[in-house]
Amino acid sequence: MKLNPAQIFIGALLINNVLLFRFLGLCPFFGVSNAVGTATGMSGAVVFVMLLASLVTWALYNLVLAPLGLVFLRTAVFILVIASLVQFVEMYLKKYMRTLYSSLGIYLPLITTNCAILGVTFLSIDYRFSLLDSTIFAIGSGLGFGLVIILFAAIRERLNDAPISRSFRGYPIAFIAASLVSLAFYGFAGLFGISL
Amino acid sequence: MTSRPSRLKYFTSGIILENPLLVLMIGLCPALATTATARDGFGMGIAASFVLIASNVVVSLLRRFVPSSIRIPIFIIIISSFVTIVDYVLQAYQPGLYAVLGIFIPLIVVNCMILGRAEAFAYHHGVWDSILDALGKSLGFTLALGLMGTIREFFSAGTVFGAVVTPAAFREAPVLFMIFSPGAFLLIGILKAIVNRLTLPKEKMEQ
Amino acid sequence: MDWATTLKALAGLGGLGLFLGLVLAIASIKLAVKVDPREERIRSVLPGANCGGCGYPGCDAYAAAVARGEADVNACPVGGPSVSQQVAEIMGKEVEETEPVVAKLICRGGAAEAPRRFEYQGATNCRQAALLLGGPKACIYGCIGMGHCVTVCPVDAIRLGSDNLPIIDEDACVGCGACTKECPKQVLRLLPKSKLVYLACASHDKGRSVKQVCKVGCIGCGLCVKNCPVAALTLVNNLPVMDETKCIDCGICVHKCPTKSFIDRAPSRPKAAINENCTGCTLCVKKACKFKAIEGEPKQPHRVIPEKCVGCGECVKVCPKAAIDMVPVGKKATADPSPYKS
Repeated sequence: MKLNPAQIFIGALLINNVLLFRFLGLCPFFGVSNAVGTATGMSGAVVFVMLLASLVTWALYNLVLAPLGLVFLRTAVFILVIASLVQFVEMYLKKYMRTLYSSLGIYLPLITTNCAILGVTFLSIDYRFSLLDSTIFAIGSGLGFGLVIILFAAIRERLNDAPISRSFRGYPIAFIAASLVSLAFYGFAGLFGISL
Repeated sequence: MTSRPSRLKYFTSGIILENPLLVLMIGLCPALATTATARDGFGMGIAASFVLIASNVVVSLLRRFVPSSIRIPIFIIIISSFVTIVDYVLQAYQPGLYAVLGIFIPLIVVNCMILGRAEAFAYHHGVWDSILDALGKSLGFTLALGLMGTIREFFSAGTVFGAVVTPAAFREAPVLFMIFSPGAFLLIGILKAIVNRLTLPKEKMEQ
Repeated sequence: MDWATTLKALAGLGGLGLFLGLVLAIASIKLAVKVDPREERIRSVLPGANCGGCGYPGCDAYAAAVARGEADVNACPVGGPSVSQQVAEIMGKEVEETEPVVAKLICRGGAAEAPRRFEYQGATNCRQAALLLGGPKACIYGCIGMGHCVTVCPVDAIRLGSDNLPIIDEDACVGCGACTKECPKQVLRLLPKSKLVYLACASHDKGRSVKQVCKVGCIGCGLCVKNCPVAALTLVNNLPVMDETKCIDCGICVHKCPTKSFIDRAPSRPKAAINENCTGCTLCVKKACKFKAIEGEPKQPHRVIPEKCVGCGECVKVCPKAAIDMVPVGKKATADPSPYKS
């Protein structure tokens, strides 16, 4: 089903949310979502890296790997490129954009192994997106990640003060809260007839 | 000379005490995404196990030759090689499983468990210890994934590994909730709560 | 065996690795940020608790501020004097000694002394409870007792006692002030660690309205002000305010207070004992002792009544013959773990 960019965006943001529907990026989700401030910083970093990684890996795959018949190197090449990209971006921000670095630079090393970044790049290839579609998909997924993680951080801040029984404190109640949030997001299923 | 008991601990700790999924809480993405049925859960666990054991062995063998400053990219190359092998083997011999696991096979490369064990253990220990550690963690991970898959399949389809174990009445109106993400999150939350109940020391429980 | 693909793969991956390595190596040189070496040395001696007690967001920020010359070298409360000394050495400065401060609770109204006005059902957090009509406690000035200070303490120095009052471990407390800022009733204050006697009440009401809501609340009677031998107390807005530079920790106010609102942290107080130098001038009996703890006839050696003596030492000051000694007695035996019961 050929989708236009707007449909891809809504699909990535709400309907097939990268976190709640595709289960990508769960480790930092539970680690970083305990305060709204850190969650915002993390989502900024994720959107930023997802966009850059998507562009670079799309170019690498479609212009280098596929024509040379080296498709099987996809995994190794993508992860190496993403890791180097993140390191480069961190150094660049630290030198030239200090304020941006202090607000989201510290999360950059954390998202090198974030399966959301790598996952989104693989999905772009599997869905055979054009460069534009790939970019829109990356932005939509990144914002979808950010939306959920910030919402969830607000919920977890309230959960901190609630009288929860000992075995459920921490991860268990967070998972159960995530279950309810993802149930809520299922309300978006079939929106505008989009299904990615 | 390491005594036998402490060596065996590398193996046994990974199964329950330091179970990667339920105690250390790593490898969550594949755990929730690929455990819709028992077969998928075990399949994912076995694929990840292969990569973990293989990469632990290679990292351990090469540990004296890898400079510390570039060790992470080297680990990544080693791990991604094995992941690519698993990817293509599954594509050839288990196309059904391959179709279900989808992008989570290449995503094994960023599974925190594998990179984590290479960095924290295999880089500093000998080959046999690394094998034991990898076996223990793999077994723990696979069992945990298998458990989740079994429970989810039982409730959402009334079968286990495809074998029917519930009456027809149940299978006509099963708990479909368990296939979808809310069910997965709920299941792992309850499993973690059970693990907490069993492992937290007495004083912490009374707080 | 497809050698062509193998070679292409090796060359491709190898070339990519080389290229990326080169780019990162060049970048690490060209994009290197010049860091003041002193900043790194300062950061390495800091404890790394990131408590914010220095007033900066984390140890990294404080180290940077010190290196820039903005921050004082002795602002780190967790590190204390030893860290301040090291930071001063790195910066080539002198450090002055400051009296360590700890957080102390200015409220004695626990579950037994201060009742609640309503049943509160909600988040068990003092700040949230305080938003609801000032909290469930009958006294609106007092400690709500849900333990928000316990959670914000960066060094885990506070725990909630069985009477719903926080107990601060003064050896663990580093005086960072996090709890004092977070307390919605402002009943935690930073006081010098060595301060033994202080008022433990924050209620600005007086008389009967205090007694109705708390058994140990300050009623603003002013008896402590009248009896203080060094005039260290003044009544402001129904609460005695202590001038810490004047207070000698004698403990008279503790015993004169009708509602027992003061706290005496001294482990034991000495007792007065009259020795053979006494000539019976009755100065101590008539002028000094506020507790009628010395008896005696003129020209007869006087005698101290130990049960009434509180160990304030006023009698020693007036005795012209140095006939009174303050004799230490053993530590007060107390089975009560709470420091708030005198």
